[in-house]
Order: sequence, then structure tokens, then C-alpha cells
Amino acid sequence: MSTQTEPVAREAGDQVAARRNERIGGPRMLELLERYGLVILLILVALFFTFWSHTSGVFPTSANLRNVAANESILVIVALAAMVPMVAERFDLSVGAIVATSAITTAKMLTAWNFPVVAGIVGGILVGAVIGLVNGVIIAHYNANSLVITLGMSTLLAGVGSYLTGNNTLLGVPQSLLNFGNLSWLGIPRPVWLFVIVALIVAFVLGGTVFGRRLLATGSNESAARLVGMPVSRTILIALVISGALSGLAGVLLLARTGSAAAGVGSGYTLPAVAAIFLGSTTIRPGRFTVIGTLVGVFFVAISVNGLTLAGAQDWVEPVFNGGAVVVAVAAAAILAKKRLGSAR
Amino acid sequence: MTQPLLGAPARCAVAVESVSKTFPGMRALDDVSFEIGRGSFHALLGGNGSGKSTLIKILAGVYQGDAGGSIRSGKEVVAAEAITPSWASRAGIRFVHQDLGLFGPMTVAENLFAGRPYPRTRAGSIDWPAMHREARRVLDAHGVEVSSRRLMSDLRPAEQTLVAIARCLFDVGSESVELLVLDEPTSRLPPAEVDELLESLDRYVAAGQSILYVSHRLNEILEHADVVTVLRDGKHIATRGMQGLDRAALTTMIVGAERDIARKREPRPIDPTVVMTVESLSSGPVREVGFDLHRGEVVGIAGLVGSGRTHLVETIFGVHRPVEGQVVVNDRRLRPGSIEGAIAAGLAYVPEDRAAHSAFRDLGLDMNLSAADLKRYRRGWFRRGAEVADGVADIARFAIRTPGVRAPLAQLSGGNQQKAVLARWLRRRPDVLLLDEPTQGVDVGARAEIYAQIEEAGRRGSAVLLVTSDLDELLHLSDRVLVMARGRLVDSAAGDAITRDWVATRMFAANQEES
Repeated sequence: MSTQTEPVAREAGDQVAARRNERIGGPRMLELLERYGLVILLILVALFFTFWSHTSGVFPTSANLRNVAANESILVIVALAAMVPMVAERFDLSVGAIVATSAITTAKMLTAWNFPVVAGIVGGILVGAVIGLVNGVIIAHYNANSLVITLGMSTLLAGVGSYLTGNNTLLGVPQSLLNFGNLSWLGIPRPVWLFVIVALIVAFVLGGTVFGRRLLATGSNESAARLVGMPVSRTILIALVISGALSGLAGVLLLARTGSAAAGVGSGYTLPAVAAIFLGSTTIRPGRFTVIGTLVGVFFVAISVNGLTLAGAQDWVEPVFNGGAVVVAVAAAAILAKKRLGSAR
Repeated sequence: MTQPLLGAPARCAVAVESVSKTFPGMRALDDVSFEIGRGSFHALLGGNGSGKSTLIKILAGVYQGDAGGSIRSGKEVVAAEAITPSWASRAGIRFVHQDLGLFGPMTVAENLFAGRPYPRTRAGSIDWPAMHREARRVLDAHGVEVSSRRLMSDLRPAEQTLVAIARCLFDVGSESVELLVLDEPTSRLPPAEVDELLESLDRYVAAGQSILYVSHRLNEILEHADVVTVLRDGKHIATRGMQGLDRAALTTMIVGAERDIARKREPRPIDPTVVMTVESLSSGPVREVGFDLHRGEVVGIAGLVGSGRTHLVETIFGVHRPVEGQVVVNDRRLRPGSIEGAIAAGLAYVPEDRAAHSAFRDLGLDMNLSAADLKRYRRGWFRRGAEVADGVADIARFAIRTPGVRAPLAQLSGGNQQKAVLARWLRRRPDVLLLDEPTQGVDVGARAEIYAQIEEAGRRGSAVLLVTSDLDELLHLSDRVLVMARGRLVDSAAGDAITRDWVATRMFAANQEES
């Protein structure tokens, strides 16, 4: 019965909305530039390396692009992991440490304890989820500072990693797992399929579920979210469990790609992941953490570093670029937010 | 529309000439001209979005006007596009904003000297005796009867406002203050202190001070202002003396059409069905409060600031866990301290501070409207289309002015944001609607619409518990009024027994008796 009344109401309302639009309008060009600035920059950088004589030989080849995409698949999943709690304004700086812990767990299960491959994969993901649960209980239930708790957890996990590996590199991973990390389906590396599926699922959870909406509302105004009856603590807890599980998945993928696990292998992912989500928050929907923005963020840095490396840049370029991206992205996000709130009056 | 600006400088403190302000896609001020006479209590009126705030920000130099206009203050003239905060300060225009900008944990004297050099001893340390002497002199000059050594946070709201004003005027003799601009100075004062503040302002005006007074409270303006300027949709509607103006005429000038909002509610029969019973509730400042709420009834809670009204409503809604007592809704006891339980039992709550407790400013209007009822859209996955359609229907039903159904809430005016918050709860058809200052800072037009929605909710069977500091609002909406003082219910009245005098005297007397 509601289907009969809805179109009428929609029409009337749209007319109202259209009239308001005419009156208020907006600085369209500037807004578009703000929204798609990073995307345009990404395209320009890609075009530059395609035609620049120092890189045009290798950069635009499908082998190079496939390689970049496959290499970044781990970072994409880690960044999406860190993004989920970030939507509710909770940091998860333990993502990198969880990657290492899960990779070590799976490696240990498959090599030392002779579990079947599937059990090893599930085990790695589960370990990540459990660590996320511990983070979540402390942060959500006791309202502890997420930054400090996850940083502490990160350090703790590094120690646990050393203990589990005895400071050795674990080798001898079954071929079937290595195949997943290094072969292609339909000409596209399997890890790329995996990150695309993960991205679609995360996007659906954020945009197409009640949980996603609660996460968004908590990030927008936590007190208001509580006062409309949303289970804010539970929402934050689940977000951190999801973050842990995705980091665990990234750890398994790391093992599949490299065939080895050692203490500390994942710690390098935390900062680039944070850089990517903050870069991403300046684009498409400025001020909001989105899946598509995060993908743009990851590949903006990856393409730039890849091009520079091909042109013969030194090792120090990548960390400088990553660190610079965090600082620039967070500053840009702050400036844009100030401008938006200023012009809304 | 432009008025000639030929008044002799001696008669005119500040003149606004042909000032316009265009924001991208919107003209906030359109060729506004008027003069503020020396020694005049000049009221500035207008609904939200009328351009009132924009004009004040231009006077303060926060915004620059479009080219072509100018501002004159005393002997200083400046083009509207070149105005800066330092010009406004040099030209003697002083501001007391709604947020007074005081430092609670510091003394009155330290607050008075904020932004000024502290008196120093020869050794270079602060000369406290000299500072307090000087502060005493300034306070005396403005008739502020508080000790310079008291902590700001210990003062009553009216006293705090007076100290903020004294800080602006400081030393009338040595600094020439052409115009004192007061933005909603009474919005957070209890009724008794409103008069205290306004009487002080009258004294300053009598002594020759010019005041530009911005307020939504028409009674204050009718009783105290000499001249009123009305803005509507960025245009100057009128600047005229107060002679012959009454409430209805002012309202017409502000909203552009006659709307009857000040009439007191007629006594009417109340459905005897009890929807909610509060039994001997104690929590924080609230002491043993008990009352019934009937179907469709609007019960107002009157009380001074600090009487525990907000805490009472929050406790009923489950924000605080009561120390003692309980709340029963439709014969079922509410789980203490559970907001989710309260909502499930049919309660709804519109809090006082919208920005802090109810608005999702960066989320779309549609998302704000559905925030209290998300599960309605969960059928397998989240039905975004149905959510947007409901948003569109509510925009029409509640006459919400918005750039679009998905526009971030921050793009709406305060009154329209508040309509959205109310609409959010009315969607659930609540059995009990708890409202805390539902029209604070909302313009007259939106206020009338909010009143209509509250009355409509009552007709549909919701019981309404209304906390408000606005006596007109209380009288206009309430079937019954409970008076609260120092955490207790001290009196109640229904129908014709509710009068302005009764409310004001009971509220104040009860406060005295207890102390």
C-alpha cells in the first residue's frame, strides 16, 4: 500500500528540493575539483610515466601494471581494515602487527603442525579477529583511547611474533597456497581478485547495512548516535573485529605471495595504510572515509613510487613519499573540512 | 530603498549604507541601509536566514560586504568591502556574543583584563592590588555588584553577562565606544535574571550608550527597545520607532504574514489514560520527582536554570541511571539507564543542544531523519530507496527548507535542522515525546511550525513533556505546568490556573523558600 503513496510524495518533495537547489546552488567547479582532484592527479601521474622517456619503456606494460596491482593487494586489504574503525573515528594502528602475527600463525600451522591449507588460512584470519576482539572490548567497552591501545597491542604482538618464530624465517609453505599468491585467473593476478572482492564486501557493509549506517553515525556525532538508541559500543567493537579479521586475511595473503613469514614483516603496512585512508578521505566524498577513496589513495602512492623507482630513484624515495602523503593528506583534510564548515554558514 | 544618510553625526552612532553581501549562489544581504541613533536601544530582528547574523559579522569585520556599501561609526567611515576587525575595534564597535567568551575558572578581575595589559609592579610581576582596584572601579562604573575576586563560574548567568558587557565598555571615559552589539544576550538566562540584565541595559542607554540588540524574544524588545530594524530574506523591511507596535505587528514584519503564535492554549478535556508514570525518581540533582502523563496531554516543566529539569528528562530517557525510583510506560517498568529500552517502550527525546546531542551535521538530511528508526529499512539489505522516499515525504510534511533530500544537515538553517530532529522522532509515533528547549535559537516562522507539529503529535495520542525557559512557549503549549526548583517538583497547575504571573512567581518563590 505504501508503494502507491510513495511516488506522489517523492514527486512533490523533488519539486521542493529542485526549487531550493535553484536558490541556493553552489560553487560547482570548485566542488568538482575538490572531489576529483586526487583522481585527476592519479591519472596525470600515470600519463606522465607512460610518456616520460625514462619510464615509458616499462611503466605502461601490462606486466608492470599487473605486478603493481598484485603487490598492492596486501596494502589495499590492510588499508580497508584500518578504514572500518576509522569511519567511527577509532584508530587501529595494530593492523600491520596483526598481518605479521597471522602470517606467522598460518605458516606455523602449515609447516610445523601440519594442518591442512584451509585450516591454516582460517586460523590466520581467526587470530586476527581475536586480536581485534581484544582491541574492541578495551576500546569500545571501557572507552579507552584507540590510538594508544592499538599502538600498545602492536608492540605486544611484535614480541609475540619473535617468540613464535624464535627469530627465524618460517619457510616451506605448501605450493597450493603459493599458487594463490602468484598465479592469475583470466589474466588478472589472483590477489587482485581477492582485494576487489574484499573491497566490494566492505563497501556493501558500509553502505548497505544497518551496521554500516551506525558506524557512519557514530563517526559523525557519537553522543547523538547514543541518544537515538544506537548500540554505539557494540558497533565500535564489531568494527575492530572486522579490522582484525581483514588484517589477518592480509597476513595470509602476504604468506601466499612471499612463501615465508618472519617477525615484524607486517609492521611496514600500518603507516602506508593510514596514509591511504586519509588521502582517500580528501577525494570523491571529501571528509568521509570511503572504499573507493582508499583505493585511489593506495594506488596514487603506489603508481607514483613505481614510476619513480623505474626512473632509477633510490630506496629512500618510498618512505619519504609515504610519510609525505600522510602529512599532506591529513593537512589537506583538515583545511578542506574547515573550508566546508566555514562556507556552510 | 536606500535611505539618505544626512543625519548629523552627533545624532547618529553607526550608519549602515547600502550594504550587500553575496555568497556563492545566495544573496545574504541586499542593499541594507539604516542608522543607529546615539543613546538609542536599537533592536535588530529577523528570522533565521534573514541576514541578521551576516550583518553583525560585517559590522565586526569578520565578513567583508560587496563593493558599493559603506559603514560609518562616529567619525570613521569605511567601504563595506574593506572592513576588518581592527577597523571595527578602532571605530568603537564592541560585541558581546551569545557565547560570552569568559573564563570560568578565573576571577572576575582576570576576566575583565583579558585582552588588556595587566597592571605590573616595578619588578615586572602582576600588580594584583592595582588590578582589583581597577576592576572594582570598572564594575562600579557599570553598576555590576559582584566582587572582583569571585570566580566567574560562581556568578549567576545575568551577572556573567554584565561582566562580559563591562569588559567591552571597560572605561567609558577613556575609550570611545560608539556601539555595543549584543547577540541574544538573554537566551540562556532564567526569566528573573532577564529583567535584571535589561534594566542594566536601560541604565546604560539612559547614560548615552548606543546598543544594537539582537533577540528572538519579542517581549523584551516591546518593553525595552526605542527603535527596531527588521530584516527578512536579506532585505531591509523597516527601521522605525516602537510607538504603536505590538507583538502581532512585529511578528508580521518578521515573517511577512500574520501568524498567531502567542495565544494561550484553551483548557480542554484530557484523555484519562495514563501513558507514563514517573515514581519518586532521584538522580543527580533530581529529588523524588513523581507525576503522571496522560494520552495526548502536553505537560510543561518550568524552572530556573539549574533546577534539574534537563537531568530529569535525561533520566527518564535512560541517559542516567536513577539512584531511586522508576519510570513506568504503558504499565511496563523501563529498564533503568537504558536508552534503547526507553525508545523501544515508545519514548522519544529532542535534546537541548542540537549540535552536541542530536545533529549528524555531515550526514545527509535523509540519514538524519531515519537515524532513530534504521531497522525499518532492513529487509535483507538496507533499503536506501525507501529511506530517501520517506525523507522526501517528511521534507514536504514538515516544510523543511533544504537544498535537497541528501544535502548535509549543516547546510540547513538552525530552525530547519530542528524541524528535522523533531521529524526524526515523530516518524516513530512515540507514546511519550520528551522535548528540552525545542525552539531555542529558532526563528519565529519555524517556531510556529514546530508548535503545530507538537500539537499534531498530541492529537495523534503522544503525551508531551516540554522543558522550556520561554514563558510564551510554556503558556502556548501546556495543558498542565509542573514547577521544578532545586531538583523537586514544587507546584502544578492546569488550564486557566496557568498564568504568566503564577509561573514566574512560583518558580522564583519556590527557589527562595528552599534556600
